Amino acid sequence: MRRQLVALGPEGSTDMRNRMLWTLGILLVAVACTRNEPPKEASPAPATTSNAPRADVRIAVVTHGQASDTFWSVVKNGVDRAAKDLGVTVTYNAPQTFDMVAMSRLIDAEVAKKPDGIVVSIPDPNALSRSIKAAVDAGIPVISINSGSDIYKQLGVLLHVGQTEYEAGFGGGEKMAASGVKNVLCANHEVGNASLDLRCKGFIDAVTKAGGTGKVLGVNAADPTDSQQKVLAALGDGVDGILTLGPLGSNAALAALKQNGKIGQIKLGTFDLTPDVLAGIRDGQLEFAIDQQQYLQGYLPIVLLTQYKLYGVLPAGGILPTGPGFVTKETAARVIDLSKQGIR
Amino acid sequence: MRKLLNRPEFGAVGGTAAIWLFFAFYAGGSGFLTWPGTASYLEIASELGILAAAVSLLMIAGEFDLSVGSTIAATGMTISLLCERLGWSLWAAIAAAGVLALGVGFLNGLVVVRTRLPSFIVTLGTLFILSGSTIGVTRLVTGRTQVGGLHEALHYGAAETLFASRIGGFSVSIFWWLALTALTAWVLLRTRFGNWIFGAGGAPDAARNLGVPVARVKIALFMTTALAAWFVATSQAIKFTGTDVLRGTGKELEAILAAVIGGTLLTGGYGSVIGAGFGALIFGMVQQGIVFSGIDSDWYKVFLGAMLITAVLVNSYVRGKVMEARR
Amino acid sequence: MRDAALDVPLLEAEGLAKSFGGITALEEVSLSVRAGEVMCVLGDNGAGKSTLIKTLSGVHLPDRGRLRIEGQEVRLTSPREARAHGIATVYQDLAMVPLLSIARNFFLGAEPTKGVWPFRRFDMRTADTIVRAELEKMGIRVRDTSEPVGTLSGGERQSVAIARAVYFGARVLILDEPTSALGVKQAGVVLRYILQARSRGCGVILVTHNPHHAWLIGDRFTLVNRGRSLGTFSKEQLSREELVRQMAGGQELEELSHELGEAVRVSSG
Repeated sequence: MRRQLVALGPEGSTDMRNRMLWTLGILLVAVACTRNEPPKEASPAPATTSNAPRADVRIAVVTHGQASDTFWSVVKNGVDRAAKDLGVTVTYNAPQTFDMVAMSRLIDAEVAKKPDGIVVSIPDPNALSRSIKAAVDAGIPVISINSGSDIYKQLGVLLHVGQTEYEAGFGGGEKMAASGVKNVLCANHEVGNASLDLRCKGFIDAVTKAGGTGKVLGVNAADPTDSQQKVLAALGDGVDGILTLGPLGSNAALAALKQNGKIGQIKLGTFDLTPDVLAGIRDGQLEFAIDQQQYLQGYLPIVLLTQYKLYGVLPAGGILPTGPGFVTKETAARVIDLSKQGIR
Repeated sequence: MRKLLNRPEFGAVGGTAAIWLFFAFYAGGSGFLTWPGTASYLEIASELGILAAAVSLLMIAGEFDLSVGSTIAATGMTISLLCERLGWSLWAAIAAAGVLALGVGFLNGLVVVRTRLPSFIVTLGTLFILSGSTIGVTRLVTGRTQVGGLHEALHYGAAETLFASRIGGFSVSIFWWLALTALTAWVLLRTRFGNWIFGAGGAPDAARNLGVPVARVKIALFMTTALAAWFVATSQAIKFTGTDVLRGTGKELEAILAAVIGGTLLTGGYGSVIGAGFGALIFGMVQQGIVFSGIDSDWYKVFLGAMLITAVLVNSYVRGKVMEARR
Repeated sequence: MRDAALDVPLLEAEGLAKSFGGITALEEVSLSVRAGEVMCVLGDNGAGKSTLIKTLSGVHLPDRGRLRIEGQEVRLTSPREARAHGIATVYQDLAMVPLLSIARNFFLGAEPTKGVWPFRRFDMRTADTIVRAELEKMGIRVRDTSEPVGTLSGGERQSVAIARAVYFGARVLILDEPTSALGVKQAGVVLRYILQARSRGCGVILVTHNPHHAWLIGDRFTLVNRGRSLGTFSKEQLSREELVRQMAGGQELEELSHELGEAVRVSSG
């Protein structure tokens, strides 16, 4: 063995060391080139003293939705736009998949960086409460978005920006009742999901309040054929209005209505926007879609935290409802445009 | 000195140093070098490291366990459901989950050994079965996908001290990780059983003919990986006072990656538990370091992939030198 | 000159037959080996040599025929059982893990330990001492037994495998083509080693298709062709040329030679 080692010699080991160093060096250079722009660039507005502190404002956004997801990419667009408009620095982080453990660690990391404010979503209060409380205890103002509207206050979060499910469903019910609907179905594709249950409850309460009746129909999210047939079967009872809670439900309901030819006669409303839904509204197949307006969930918290950092002002707490925003035939065309730009 | 180069961990140690230097340079000011920053990536490393130690043993014996991630979800959810729904004491629930883990590991091992199917396939099947069962049972029983409230369980305080407390700001998981890695490495390198692991992976037929109980070794190792998953699930359930059905998703691949970065061959017969520990450390540093340095998190995967390839290249280069036969 | 007491063969096979499905690998093979003797089994490829080895070492059970160890009839149902009876087989792949150290390979499955459970440790120091000593006896000096076995030359690796078999008490060594992948010098190392084993009282069954090597160290020769043994000859009974001729195909080769000769004449005429 030593004979061989002598042959390997200093040249051999240096050779390998060099190769390693080169590889590492190239790696370092490659990654360095992908760094975000440093915050201290020229600000867009005239360089008065009031702008200088703005550039120092750093806000961290940690959500459970990846920027590659169509819903969350709109949120991120809101975040980025606000950062640009205000001239502050914002980072957006999310775990690679729905992973509460990773998300809480991301929050911890951001807290260690001592930002001027943190924006979080709270899909799992149990898992995230420790990290959020730690952020609050560290004196960092926290605003929550999208999920956690029922628990944010207990964690010390200052504000919640999002859509409250019950009110959204209620708003949908009011709208339907206003157009004369008396007997409604609420097609829930995930019975047991507390948020969705609340939507249906609000919806039916509103219709009942206006003198009508309604009931919940559970459909199978994973089986569109099953859902379609279930809706069809339930339509026989003189139903004249349906609310679905997402694209999965709305696709099934549309198919059912097409099948029995009642499209346009039975009023259909849904939650959340997709290109199909928007086209359906434009073509008169759907009455309305309830838009969470998640762009605002990205935009507004940045504005609020910046003002808080600069001047100490903040709305006195509570929930800023970004929804329900209704998209109807009149506004469908414009929304389709904006959807292409990633704003709705 | 040459001996150092020949060790399977060499690539991983070098890589760790390089990554640390990189982030110290780029993100030192923004928290990477602070104590809390260090504690955060060490904690991530510790949980992955416990998995990687067990997984590397199994890989050295020539098998894969893709069900580790879903075992985390299943055992964690078992603990949460037993406590929240049935009011069990935490220790009892943890023990029950441990029995589940042993059962899963035993079945994995038995099927692999009896059917001679590739363990990749068998454990992939287990992954689906476990993952689906976890989701199905949880929704059936609770109608939700997250089960919390563990802090109200009996004996939570004691369990919290054991699994979720912090010493000087550093999670106690880190100490568990170091202890378990040391134990595993000792078993591999200093016991008879460890030699059997090498033999079972490097030349299974020959080993069998020489009297090594290859089947028993493999079954034992599958049970070990399942137990590692159970340990991590317990830690996380206690830390986060609950479980969700998707917990642990993807951890099996990360553990394999950490083991490979640490010098373990995919073909078996060669590897290092200490190396897997460094592999897990690299993971932790990269995951948090990217956040600290402000690099867009989309590049996390690129970074990881590049590092993996580099590590494997270095490892095989070193191994090639080691294997050069005399004339 | 052989002592009468030593004449009970260590291993004796009588009338072995083995088929796989419709293919007959062994039809009627008999051989025996005594202590301190090298029995060469020679045959062309496809003659059934590997099946023979596997039958003798317990991998296969013969369909017909008997095996006797020191006169006692045995049924070998597994390689481990064969090993327990003192039959050690060194296959061509050597049963070594290349990336593992010499000491670990040597003691695989029979590791020396010290201490009590749960602290029972692999006794590396003892292992190192023994391996060094055994290899020394066979003429190989190793600097470091923790070097991977893959760094040894082919011949040295063979020798380590044989040393392992001898150390663990093999009475009968069965070697499958030990020199076929080796150059002359390396083959010399192995052959010398085999002679050492013989002088220690082992019975060696050497399976090879190289008649020259066989002639160098064999005491008796069994020729096998198409699953049948064509007879056992001692060195006195067989000349080297005859051995080579038989090995190379004997009768068939002569006919082939005539045929080819004809073909050459016809084409050039």
